[in-house]
Amino acid sequence: MAMRELVTGGAACAVPGGAGSSSSSNPLGALANALIGSSSKTQDRLKEIPSSTATATSPSAEFFSLPDDHLRALPGSELDRPLLQPNRPHTQGSEFLSGFYSVDQNGALSDVWDEIHQHGPHPLLPQPQLQQPTFDGPPQRVLSSFLHSFVDSSRAGIPFRPTPLPMLGLSQGDKQCIRDRSTIMARHFFADKPDDFIDAQVNALLSSLDIDHDVRAKGPLPGRYRELEDYWNESQGMLKPGPHAADGWVTEYSQQQPHRVDPDAWAHSFEQQHGANGWASEFEQEQSQLTSVNQMRGANISSLAAMEQTRMLAHTLAQNDDPKFQNSKFLQFVSKMSRGELIIDDNQVKPASLIAPGDWATEYQQKYNGGQTWADEFVGSELSHGPDRWVKEFTTEREQHGSVDDQWVNEFSKLHVHDWVEEFGQQVGEGSLGESSADNWANAYDEFLNEQVSAKQQLNSSRGVYVFSEMNPYVGHPNPLKEGQELFRKGLLSEAVLALEAEVLKNPDNSEGWRLLGIAHAENDDDQQAIAAMMRAQEADPTNLEVLLALGVSHTNELEQAAALKYLYGWLRNHPKYGTLALPELSESPYYADVARLFNEAAQMSPEDADVHVILGVMFNLSREYDKAISSFQTALKLKPHDYSLWNKLGATQANSVQSSEAISAYQQALDLKPNYVRAWANMGISYANQGMYEESIRYYVRALAMNPKADNAWQYLRISLSCASRNDMLEACDSRNLDILQKEFPL
Amino acid sequence: MPIFKTPFNGYSVKFSPFYESRLAVATAQNFGILGNGRIHVLDLPPTPSTPISELSSYDTADGVYDLTWSESHESLIVAAIADGSIKLYDVALPPSNNPIRSFHEHTREAHSVDYNATRRDSFITASWDDTIKLWTLDRPASVRTFKEHAYCVYQAVWHPKLSDVFASASGDCTLRIWDVREPGSTMVIPAHEFEILSCDWNKYDDCLIATGSVDKTIKVWDVRSYRVPLAVLNGHGYAVRKVKFSPHRRNYMVSCSYDMTVCLWDFMVEDALVGRYDHHTEFAVGVDMSVLVEGLLASTGWDELVYVWLQGTDPRAP
Repeated sequence: MAMRELVTGGAACAVPGGAGSSSSSNPLGALANALIGSSSKTQDRLKEIPSSTATATSPSAEFFSLPDDHLRALPGSELDRPLLQPNRPHTQGSEFLSGFYSVDQNGALSDVWDEIHQHGPHPLLPQPQLQQPTFDGPPQRVLSSFLHSFVDSSRAGIPFRPTPLPMLGLSQGDKQCIRDRSTIMARHFFADKPDDFIDAQVNALLSSLDIDHDVRAKGPLPGRYRELEDYWNESQGMLKPGPHAADGWVTEYSQQQPHRVDPDAWAHSFEQQHGANGWASEFEQEQSQLTSVNQMRGANISSLAAMEQTRMLAHTLAQNDDPKFQNSKFLQFVSKMSRGELIIDDNQVKPASLIAPGDWATEYQQKYNGGQTWADEFVGSELSHGPDRWVKEFTTEREQHGSVDDQWVNEFSKLHVHDWVEEFGQQVGEGSLGESSADNWANAYDEFLNEQVSAKQQLNSSRGVYVFSEMNPYVGHPNPLKEGQELFRKGLLSEAVLALEAEVLKNPDNSEGWRLLGIAHAENDDDQQAIAAMMRAQEADPTNLEVLLALGVSHTNELEQAAALKYLYGWLRNHPKYGTLALPELSESPYYADVARLFNEAAQMSPEDADVHVILGVMFNLSREYDKAISSFQTALKLKPHDYSLWNKLGATQANSVQSSEAISAYQQALDLKPNYVRAWANMGISYANQGMYEESIRYYVRALAMNPKADNAWQYLRISLSCASRNDMLEACDSRNLDILQKEFPL
Repeated sequence: MPIFKTPFNGYSVKFSPFYESRLAVATAQNFGILGNGRIHVLDLPPTPSTPISELSSYDTADGVYDLTWSESHESLIVAAIADGSIKLYDVALPPSNNPIRSFHEHTREAHSVDYNATRRDSFITASWDDTIKLWTLDRPASVRTFKEHAYCVYQAVWHPKLSDVFASASGDCTLRIWDVREPGSTMVIPAHEFEILSCDWNKYDDCLIATGSVDKTIKVWDVRSYRVPLAVLNGHGYAVRKVKFSPHRRNYMVSCSYDMTVCLWDFMVEDALVGRYDHHTEFAVGVDMSVLVEGLLASTGWDELVYVWLQGTDPRAP
């Protein structure tokens, strides 16, 4: 975990979300194109659905019904444009959309954006997020950045790295979380769609996250309540041919009964699936998951079927041509996730039938037992006639209940003797309401705190361990550091790595050796090694400013705000000039606002110090104020125009704030300064992919990989771009990592 | 009117029943699918031109799906967290002392919380674990669990006058009405053919309940004759996420939907849609009407914005 949390190495700021970020950026582009290019089938579709008159019902204008155009013309209405715009594909657009966006002048846009931020939380107010025990375990944090990167990359992206995910040991709980929530939400949203479409949508989404059918979702489809509806309709005299005879449901009910016994149905279903020791085995699974990373990586090899699936999803989504929906970050988020790996497993995730359709029978019974006490308070007798027709439907059932009326009267009088609180308080005392009821809340809270502590320990113990190359010709070299520096300067990064490894093997406490090694790995797009090296550099020299900055950037990429702030603040504290600004009481867990304020002070103190502007840029990335971040980096670049890593940071930030074309020119600047900057090549590919230019993106990925075949992330991106560009013929070359074929096919 | 930008996706917004200018917002990262959450307590400015100020904010380990103000203590907030926990916050205490309580009983996402306005020490929570739980402030554990729904319970709302009665809306396509003195639900209304995401009681005619569903409609039910809805309101283009009756006018209600709009309705007239607010650019999932200021509305959505505006004005107007 810890390795991951540090990811996205030093110099190369891939920007928040960077870590788990955005390989699926490409699908988005394709999706967006599909959406924009689509025709207006949606209208027809919507008409088929009763009551879907999104635009039809226009209001008696008494209060404020303003037509859309009017609203747009209102001052302040452009507020949402910056939010809409991110999703706009650059390449292609319907006339309607271009018209819609043409109102956007770039200058106005940034002003408006600033305005929004002024309305936002004041940057100088302390924000308590850092000291709260709320950032639980690293898996969640890293995954969070992964998920977020999907969203970010939908705004035209930052590097998205699906590969590391298995490393995170996506816990069964997290998987279940993503799975269940996306399943449930998809059903809300795609109510019009057939179930198998929703299943497919969710499956595709989950498979990209390595979540498969072994995690059971909470599954009942609303449609399963058909029976209830049927009975209801029958009782209404609507006479639908009921599929179940009266004893049919009884049988069904008894069949399903076991499922219902456990009050915690999902937990029960989990047990059913995994046996009584499910939790333990889950844990084991999780552990083995952590170790068998490679296995996980290979797990999702997509197929032609998956591609078909993808097309179908894009097509269906394309049918909705409501511009608002085309611009919905959420929809793009879902689509992107679903297309991240393009895998549809044979075993379709069929939601477990946790809950018996026959449950209504219980309900029916309870209805009688329960009586209409409060309803009587309402209206007296009228209600009690209600269920009569139901009763007729189920005469057999009725016999069992016998004198329904007596029953509920008895219940009523019995229950009303006691105050309800007392009554159930008693149950609580007996512990009959579930395991946690009896717990003292304070204990529960202690438990919670302990979890936080252990999560932190986990974070610390699993921190990246540097992995040395096996064969290293530089071992025994008289001055490997000098050699490494030289190779690094020449841009021979992989060679430089070997030389520097030889150096730190020889002098494990050489902070500079570790630092340069970290930077070389970062520029080579190998984040885990970069971070591991930087950690060692910091151990060797806790006050090295460059190391602190690199670590701050890495944690920013991971959205590890607390850690990022710690290192960035450490930079300030250890800086000879700004150290005086530091407040001693902040040291352990500084607030974002405090650190931001200090750096603003530092910038005022010496506006000519590029490093301060760089850190401000990083900090604005942390708070997602990309426009401010961009201007900070631009200021820094005026002071240090030849810093290629700075150009890369600018590019990544621009990509993050949806300016893919600007990002490309920034990356180009970086590459002009440092042609062997693997990370910039890969980032360039990502930016092209985000604009839907997959052929271009492929060429850049291939170039990056030719320079460093170990850049696993780039292989992932390449694979996705190949799929999106319909170059399935080259997938095999990609999977076998045959660079010769790829380079021949995609020369740059 | 003022706008507030939240770092995470908005999930719910509630006006304080004690201060006319105060409201609380529940937010969740990554659209509530996975990640942290944050609660914002906001103070409206005395003049509309100045920005909303944030009184405090609290971070949670999972998304915050809903929250409610206590009816008994002006500074208390109860939040429903996606990890199933229910947390109590005291705005008067420093952030480091919060949450003052955390109840872990729901085994799945807690999706709604409602404070009892007549019996002011209790509140109910609805969860995706298919249950509703009843709590009181002074007890370490829930008082009672109501388990009958066969699928996620999306919302549970107290009756406005009868302190023992509440209604619940569930994905099992039923609306249920409960009396906490009874062992089971007292009424089951198969209100829609699709999942029901929200329900609310009319504040003036307490026999009326509104339901909002994935089938895009809002239905108004009279519990005295619940065979047929009193009204079916069409107009939303996607699932209706929340419905709320006006605290000031009998026939008025507000709703928000995955179609990204907030709608105002008069359910007694033929042309029920009184107004449509199109200000959100992502799913609109939270809406509230101020009890203290007539016509003051607030909404939030997945576009990470909170809007507060007076009925009849444009939410986006400066």
